[in-house]
Amino acid sequence: MKPTVDKLIDQMQMLFKDLAAKDLMVPNVISISPDRTMEQAKELMRLKKISGLPVVENDILVGLVSIEDIIKALERHRIHDPIYKIMTKNLVVVSPDETLPQIFDKFTRTGFGRFPVVDDQKRLVGIITKEDILRGILEEFRLLYVRDKRRQDVIDGEALNRSLITGEEINKLGADFAFSIDYVEVSLSGVGAARLKDFLKGRGIEEEIARKVAIASYEAETNVVIHSGSSGNIYCFLYPEYIRVRVEDHGKGIEDLDKAMQEGYSTATDQIREMGFGAGMGISNMHRYSDKMVIVSEVGKGVIVEMQFFLKDAANSA
Amino acid sequence: MKLIDISKILEAKVYSGEEKLNDLEIDRAGAADMMSDVLAFAKPGMLLITGLNTPQVVRTASIVGIATVVIVRKKQIPAETIQAAKMFGIPLLHSPLPMYTACGVLYAHNLKDIRAF
Ligand SMILES: Nc1ncnc2c1ncn2[C@@H]1O[C@H](COP(=O)(O)OP(=O)(O)OP(=O)(O)O)[C@@H](O)[C@H]1O
Ligand SMILES: [Mg+2]
Repeated sequence: MKPTVDKLIDQMQMLFKDLAAKDLMVPNVISISPDRTMEQAKELMRLKKISGLPVVENDILVGLVSIEDIIKALERHRIHDPIYKIMTKNLVVVSPDETLPQIFDKFTRTGFGRFPVVDDQKRLVGIITKEDILRGILEEFRLLYVRDKRRQDVIDGEALNRSLITGEEINKLGADFAFSIDYVEVSLSGVGAARLKDFLKGRGIEEEIARKVAIASYEAETNVVIHSGSSGNIYCFLYPEYIRVRVEDHGKGIEDLDKAMQEGYSTATDQIREMGFGAGMGISNMHRYSDKMVIVSEVGKGVIVEMQFFLKDAANSA
Repeated sequence: MKLIDISKILEAKVYSGEEKLNDLEIDRAGAADMMSDVLAFAKPGMLLITGLNTPQVVRTASIVGIATVVIVRKKQIPAETIQAAKMFGIPLLHSPLPMYTACGVLYAHNLKDIRAF
């Protein structure tokens, strides 16, 4: 077994040897300044769900706070001390141009979980973890595979104007109801779904069905506001036998749809949870209240949720 | 049970829907703090007890047809929430009782849960 694996790794290294730290790192690093307290570092790490926090003074990297440092500070009753007294100062860093084999080497030699990426003036430009490397490799793979090219067409191409469920052409300009989700304030989420419900009732749709449509659309609308990081649209089309709703955004997309669809899975922050969202039940609810549902997503391109709701008689005869 | 009696039992302050106090009959109630939870289980006509005081809770109530919202735990109710409740015509009550107690006293007064709806 072993030789095969080694061979595989060799081949992989060949494929990915040109990937550099700057392609793999996460820019816009969350950091903290050295005069803050360890307590504050701990809070930030908890809120952002990170296990290591670079310490930066005037853009220059001066240290790193790890979970271990936090534990030590707690044990020694020094959690209210300023960070610079406790942080790890002897850092192994990576430069933006170091390549994958070199970075790999550093991971194995040091056993550390993350490396700050600093330029030649010691300015912090990014951070890199093993996960980032894996993601970088997967991203490369994506470019290699035609299968994914096809999936991309769903979000980019002509298919945007087709139903994801029936394949028929849909003309969004001719939608019976349209609402643009162009706000970022979480406290406003649901405004579009409430309007949609009023619209449906105005069109003589039964309360029970209008309610189902509104609930499912509310969940989709909230997801756009909370998770997408972009704006979006709600479209509704009325047909003799059913109602079709499309909720689209152009945001960051969903990395792992299988996970996202599991009840209870959520990436919502504590702050969002305090507002009553983040139970990880939204997609399950869309599923529960609609008769048919399809979600497609491409990382970096957005999410499309399409749902069908049968009108009573049609559902019975179907 | 009449909403007026519920408001007394819960020692609640009424922020919206005073005009319905004497007429509205409630016989089912439930409690939740997560919006998706409410959306998943709520039944039209029920009373919701919640620790949330955001305007969404009222919007959620309107979408699922909740008849009355009772806020517990919170010290204050934001003006936007009261405004939303008035706009949607949903009675909004604020009770000083802990959530557990609020549920308990209503249950003791024969308010049913939402299972047998
Ligand atoms: N439009 C979107 N853009 C980016 N990510 C999304 C989007 N919709 C959902 N997700 C991802 O899918 C996860 C699951 O979504 P879901 O609606 O089921 O739960 P939630 O929004 O986290 O919590 P809840 O809906 O119960 O308030 C989210 O936590 C998020 O990571
Ligand atoms: Mg959601």
